[in-house]
Amino acid sequence: MTGDVKWQKDAADQNFDYMFKLLIIGNSSVGKTSFLFRYADDSFTSAFVSTVGIDFKVKTVFRHDKRVKLQIWDTAGQERYRTITTAYYRGAMGFILMYDITNEESFNSVQDWVTQIKTYSWDNAQVILVGNKCDMEEERVVSAERGRQLAEQLGVEFYETSAKENINVKAVFERLVDIICDKMSESLDSEPAMLAGGARGQRLTEQPQGNNNPNCNC
Amino acid sequence: MNEEIDEYDIYHQDFTTVSEWEVFIARIEEILGEWRLAKSSIPKSAVEYTKKWITKTEEILFLGQKYTLSYHTLDFSRSSDDSEGSEEKPLMTHIHNGLWEATSSFMDDDDGSQFPVSNWFGLKRFLVLYPSFPLVDGSLIKLVMSSANIAFANVDCGVPFFVKIREHWQHTYLGFYEDNQYKISFDTIHLKRISNQCSHLSGLVSLFKSKIASPVALDAVVVSTKFSYELKDFEAFTWKKTTHSNEFLSIDGFDVKKLIELPFGSEKNPTSSVLLNAIWPKFRECTIVESSTFSDIDPLMAPTWTITLKMREKINCQLSDIIQKMMNLLEDNNLLMDTLGLSRSLGLVNPLHKITEAPITISKLVKAAIGQGRNTSEFKGPIADDLLMPLLYYIFPDAVEDDTFNYTEQLEVEFKQDSSEHKLCSYVKTSPEDGLVWRLSVTAARLYDAGGLAYLAHLWYEFAQELQYRWERRILVPGVAAGIPNARTCLLHQKLQLLNCCIKRALEGSSSFAGNSSEDEFFDCTDDEDGEEQPLWDRPAGRLNRLGEAMLKNGAPLFVPRTQDPAPKTEDQLEEDAELMVRLGDDAKASELRARMMSASLLSDMEAFKAANPGAELCDFVQWYSPRDWKPEGGGSLGDRMLLPGNPWVEAWSVARPVPASRQRRLFDETREAEQVLHFLRSRTVSGAAELLLPAILKAGAIKAIEEGVTSGTNSVGGVDQRRTYEIAARDLYEAEKEACRALCMRTVLGSSVEGKPLDSSGRARVLHATGGSLPAPVRKEFTLRVKDAVAPQVMRAALAADMTIVGAFTERIVCL
Repeated sequence: MTGDVKWQKDAADQNFDYMFKLLIIGNSSVGKTSFLFRYADDSFTSAFVSTVGIDFKVKTVFRHDKRVKLQIWDTAGQERYRTITTAYYRGAMGFILMYDITNEESFNSVQDWVTQIKTYSWDNAQVILVGNKCDMEEERVVSAERGRQLAEQLGVEFYETSAKENINVKAVFERLVDIICDKMSESLDSEPAMLAGGARGQRLTEQPQGNNNPNCNC
Repeated sequence: MNEEIDEYDIYHQDFTTVSEWEVFIARIEEILGEWRLAKSSIPKSAVEYTKKWITKTEEILFLGQKYTLSYHTLDFSRSSDDSEGSEEKPLMTHIHNGLWEATSSFMDDDDGSQFPVSNWFGLKRFLVLYPSFPLVDGSLIKLVMSSANIAFANVDCGVPFFVKIREHWQHTYLGFYEDNQYKISFDTIHLKRISNQCSHLSGLVSLFKSKIASPVALDAVVVSTKFSYELKDFEAFTWKKTTHSNEFLSIDGFDVKKLIELPFGSEKNPTSSVLLNAIWPKFRECTIVESSTFSDIDPLMAPTWTITLKMREKINCQLSDIIQKMMNLLEDNNLLMDTLGLSRSLGLVNPLHKITEAPITISKLVKAAIGQGRNTSEFKGPIADDLLMPLLYYIFPDAVEDDTFNYTEQLEVEFKQDSSEHKLCSYVKTSPEDGLVWRLSVTAARLYDAGGLAYLAHLWYEFAQELQYRWERRILVPGVAAGIPNARTCLLHQKLQLLNCCIKRALEGSSSFAGNSSEDEFFDCTDDEDGEEQPLWDRPAGRLNRLGEAMLKNGAPLFVPRTQDPAPKTEDQLEEDAELMVRLGDDAKASELRARMMSASLLSDMEAFKAANPGAELCDFVQWYSPRDWKPEGGGSLGDRMLLPGNPWVEAWSVARPVPASRQRRLFDETREAEQVLHFLRSRTVSGAAELLLPAILKAGAIKAIEEGVTSGTNSVGGVDQRRTYEIAARDLYEAEKEACRALCMRTVLGSSVEGKPLDSSGRARVLHATGGSLPAPVRKEFTLRVKDAVAPQVMRAALAADMTIVGAFTERIVCL
């Protein structure tokens, strides 16, 4: 299951040190595409065309002087697309599991999505639960507390976000990258021989953790 | 004139003559500073230490020679918040406590540290200056020691400092530690021969006392002693090896059961020696006497006996040997079929060559089944038919009447959640236990081990031929989990699942052609009164069921259509798809292109929907397909997202014709897919075939190891790629196998007792019985002498074997008048 994880250097593209594949999943119209566009392009459009199947965007970030290329896959949330999208779960190192705080059903589906991740992804894939559209306070039906409780129960981290107001979007991605890096260093610790592999085996967590504050938008 | 002197020059001119010696000291100080080893930086309250050593090293040049300065510390849990309240003691006290506590262990115990000094003196942290050459010259040793002393004092170092002296193989270290009250000297003497004075306890005690040179009378010295006896070639300890041979290859005695039994364990006795340690943990001097003329010491009277097993450095493990042989194939990039000289006839030489032509030969199984005679032009592999046929019947048991080796009905793929304790190699992709992939892989490994690459190639060839035959005759491959390719199973298993999907589809296809009944395609719409009046071309087709109470915009009930399932794919195909999409880039145009690539399924569903719901609009389709983009207002309308211009949904809807799934172009072309699977298998390189076979071999090995009593898995998580994962798994298995060999030896020698722990009385009786009631002369004697005088604990240890090592830690008060 681990054989698929891609974080090696791509020969064609020397502009990064690591590559992480991330997936955004969740029910239809919870705001996955908007969330991705806010992060990758810093733009917001009130409505995106409903995603057909699967699409992706690329963003390169710096973490401890290392360029990390994020290949972020955006998926269609419709039931009919499950078979197609779950096929792409393999090799993903992180998942952003999103629901819409103004839509009860999307929150109720979170457990299903977790099951999908467990079934189709790499065992060490990291997950962050995200309640999107937190700018629409007057239409809220899922309290932040319920979101937090569910996240705790699932053993994942939790953020409320707004792609529209640009709240916590960057923080979610940065935290996810941090968690993945930590996990990677952990596996490297138990696998010292991997260090022999040169640059790709370098530890990522040698420096003290930077900003873990969930409310930090820096 | 004076005013004209340039200040810059003064401040930047070096008026000192720095000697090499000073540079050396300064360098040591610099490193100690960098590592923050001043007394003020080291925690003085009690902390919990783990057993893990952390090491830092730096290199230093002195007089043209290289020295390595290293710092070693036990990792400790940083519960500093809690321990803040606990009492802070001087570092010297911690060192003295450690020294005293360590006297309960012996010099040959292992604390996991790189240097023995931590074990000898109970140190939690220490520094070692290790010269790259044997430091034997007395004056140089003095020079280095005094340099270390000065640097130590200058930074007020809080960690004992050792210098490695003499030959590298000799464990001789000179060390010291001091604060403003006390100084500890850590001394080592190593003699290649045992001096007479020190060969017995009384001599050592007087040496110890003379070293302390206490002005007042000492308490009685407390002594621990360990005498070790080597037990060799005793009947009771002989190794019983498990037999492993390739006798299954002999035609007369061919037995599939012997074949599938993977060998395990060491071929030779992996024990190099068994040491019996007779231990007297604590007695006062004079209670037991050992001098040059008289000895009280009788091992049979020792309060504690322990056993230490020494294993051979390199154990040849049989399972690991087989796995390693397969692993070595990963380097061979020739076509596997080249081994048999078959590449050309199979059309594998030219990659552009079509592979769809009929196979040159037909499978052995086929011939056996249809009772054909032998064809002279037929390919003759290296494995004799008498051997080959039972092997093939074992892998394809449904080809023969005999059901000894039939696969179990329900082949389940076990994932690690189900069996958390069987962690060994859990990160290797699996396939159903004792399924076809499993049997093929184990058979291949055994054949390769016994007959070389030609045997492996021959088996692979027959395997591919049999699959070809089954595809052509639409016979399902047995021993494969049902359903679409499961990405959690190994690739070979996925390929066979895909082949079975193709065979199933082909079977369904031919049956529906034969009896072209309308039941499948037309939903029974008796409720639908308009149905009769509708013209034939507009009759609803391919309905599955109603969608609850949902209505079309035109008021008719909404029917869910029968749809085509997305094409099943194996992981390598999915990877190819993803790569293709990635290569398009991530701009808006590429995104649109991707949406188009992905819309084959959407279009097929739309066409099926239109066929099932004549007169339906896009908003009706969306009501079923993407309910959140549907608004109930006015009998149904599209949500904002669906109204955006350039919308692939609108575009697809506009070109979709009403065609039920049964009459649509197949999203899944079973013929093409099946041919691709077969070609994929035939065209593997040696390394490619090994990659396909290894997961099941490793898994079978892991299960074998667990059957043999290996309990501990490792925490490995697999590697970054497949190869690396295999290497890690092979290494884990080797460790497990070695451990199992060791455990087996333990059981033979120790019975129910544990190595290194005191033997119970029955254990002692067993050992004594095995040795015939008496013990040979000890091969090693060790004494630990300790006493607390007015200053601090004083400790000396002596180990006497062929050579002699005496180490001591002596504390004196620094007298400042």
